[in-house]
Amino acid sequence: MDVKLTEFWPRILEATIDTLAMVGFSLLFALILGLPLGIILVVTRPGNLMENKLLFPVLNAIINFFRSIPFIILLVAILPFTRVIVGTSIGTAAATVPLVVFAAPYIARLVESSLLEVSPGVVEATEAMGARPWQIVFRVLVPEALSSLILNITIAVIGLIGASAMAGFVGGGGLGDLAIAYGYQRFETDIMIVTVLLLVLLVQLVQTFGNKFSKIIRRR
Amino acid sequence: MIRFEGVSKQFQINDQVIQAIDNVDLTVEKGEIYGVIGFSGAGKSTLIRCVNLLETPSSGKVWVNDQDIQSLSKENLREMRRKIGMIFQHFHLLESKTVFDNIGFPLSLAGEPKSKINKKVKELLDFVGLSDKANHYPDQLSGGQKQRVGIARALSTSPEILLCDEATSALDPQTTQSILDLLKRIQKEYNITILMITHEMQVIREICDRVAVMELGKIIEEGTIFDVFSNPQHVTTRNFVKTVMNDEIPSSIIRMIESKEGTKHIYRLLFEGNFAGDPILSMASKNHDVHTNILFGQITELQGKPFGNLIVEFRGEDSDIHKALEYIRETVGVKELNIDGC
Ligand SMILES: Nc1ncnc2c1ncn2[C@@H]1O[C@H](COP(=O)(O)OP(=O)(O)OP(=O)(O)O)[C@@H](O)[C@H]1O
Ligand SMILES: [Mg+2]
Repeated sequence: MDVKLTEFWPRILEATIDTLAMVGFSLLFALILGLPLGIILVVTRPGNLMENKLLFPVLNAIINFFRSIPFIILLVAILPFTRVIVGTSIGTAAATVPLVVFAAPYIARLVESSLLEVSPGVVEATEAMGARPWQIVFRVLVPEALSSLILNITIAVIGLIGASAMAGFVGGGGLGDLAIAYGYQRFETDIMIVTVLLLVLLVQLVQTFGNKFSKIIRRR
Repeated sequence: MIRFEGVSKQFQINDQVIQAIDNVDLTVEKGEIYGVIGFSGAGKSTLIRCVNLLETPSSGKVWVNDQDIQSLSKENLREMRRKIGMIFQHFHLLESKTVFDNIGFPLSLAGEPKSKINKKVKELLDFVGLSDKANHYPDQLSGGQKQRVGIARALSTSPEILLCDEATSALDPQTTQSILDLLKRIQKEYNITILMITHEMQVIREICDRVAVMELGKIIEEGTIFDVFSNPQHVTTRNFVKTVMNDEIPSSIIRMIESKEGTKHIYRLLFEGNFAGDPILSMASKNHDVHTNILFGQITELQGKPFGNLIVEFRGEDSDIHKALEYIRETVGVKELNIDGC
């Protein structure tokens, strides 16, 4: 083994923390953007609560546009934008920007599909009670869809973990960066194996946690 | 009170226009249970949904307590909707909330204080007999229990009107009966006006004061339960009445009659009200030298009044039969129908 053990684990640890930070922050911002967008998609949809024949198709098209760009291209394409936002185009913070641009439309779609699962009959029953539109959104749609929302957001988190590993490509840091920079380019196979195993473990943990949480919400 | 005034509703699907309701005039008086019956697609749901503007009429007016409901501002409409409870065939309960929270939900939406909600929900749980299920979730309940929750929820804002869209159609006969009993009790105790939609004549007979029959978006017949059941005018109405009142002559008897020679004098006698107990047939037969042969008979109760339906063959001289019929008509005012060939 050419790598010194004293360097090996600290490097792994640092990369893990970077990955968690990248995923955590980008998830946070992606949720801040994606949740409202998903809600808007549902309520402005034709025949729904606040049907809007302009907003819905426009938003729908924009989301489709971002959803269709491969992440690796997005990563490079928005470099100037990233530089404006965080002041640099390399490092963990810089990787967060494309991750958010990647995940927010994805989350919007997932939120949309979760909210659409809520029975229109329940929404109508609430309308018949004299509920205001925002009450229908936040007191019926969101709580009724919560369990499914959590499962869908779990999918988004796993997508983000995968994307964050790719973000290593532009020197984003994290486990992906480590695997590419050392494991792949310098043939330090053991680093590559360990990082991949860590990523697998992370995905397993997130999925297990998501499933449990969703179940708890469903069955309170 | 609910009043429909020339209400129509069209739906447009692509190039096709569907006339869901067609110029309906209808008045539901305060405190009565009014039933609307019709086959699937007749427009019943569309009609009832116009009352709380879940559906907006294409033309015509809907008055609720002398308010033109379409003239209300959004805020006033929400206020009005709280005075109109609604229950549904598929209950539409919130799966993520307990029975208790489901029942209190309309009050909570209206911003009522917790203490008031608690008190009202406890009272309603008791009323619908679900006090022990307060902390259950809807998916832990049977259909009948879910509908009880739906009813309690609809009552939580102390509405003046209750709309029931096929409230018992997803339930078995016994559960249906218990829900109907509950609705009757509600109407008595709270003096609520109930408008209910159904395709089951049983339901109408059981609890309604008046009934309207709907077909292809139109009201084709309307009246008190007694009038409509005892003397249905329209073919569709007759078919509905048949589903709960078996007044068909069995085909074996028809064959037997047809095989006989000579003129047949067969009449349908409809006994109404208090006359169902009188021995008019034997009196007629005794006084006018005719023989009566009862081919088919049934006595039921409609809204607490006995209602008899007899199919009788008269034998004897034509003039005697004529006199006997005159007698029957005079004495008890029965309606007679010549049923030859039907
Ligand atoms: N939102 C809608 N869009 C288009 N057509 C509709 C809509 N709602 C109802 N219709 C049509 O209007 C007609 C009446 O429907 P409605 O639901 O009122 O019937 P119904 O008497 O309640 O029937 P059922 O007993 O099956 O519930 C039907 O032809 C139906 O297809
Ligand atoms: Mg219907």
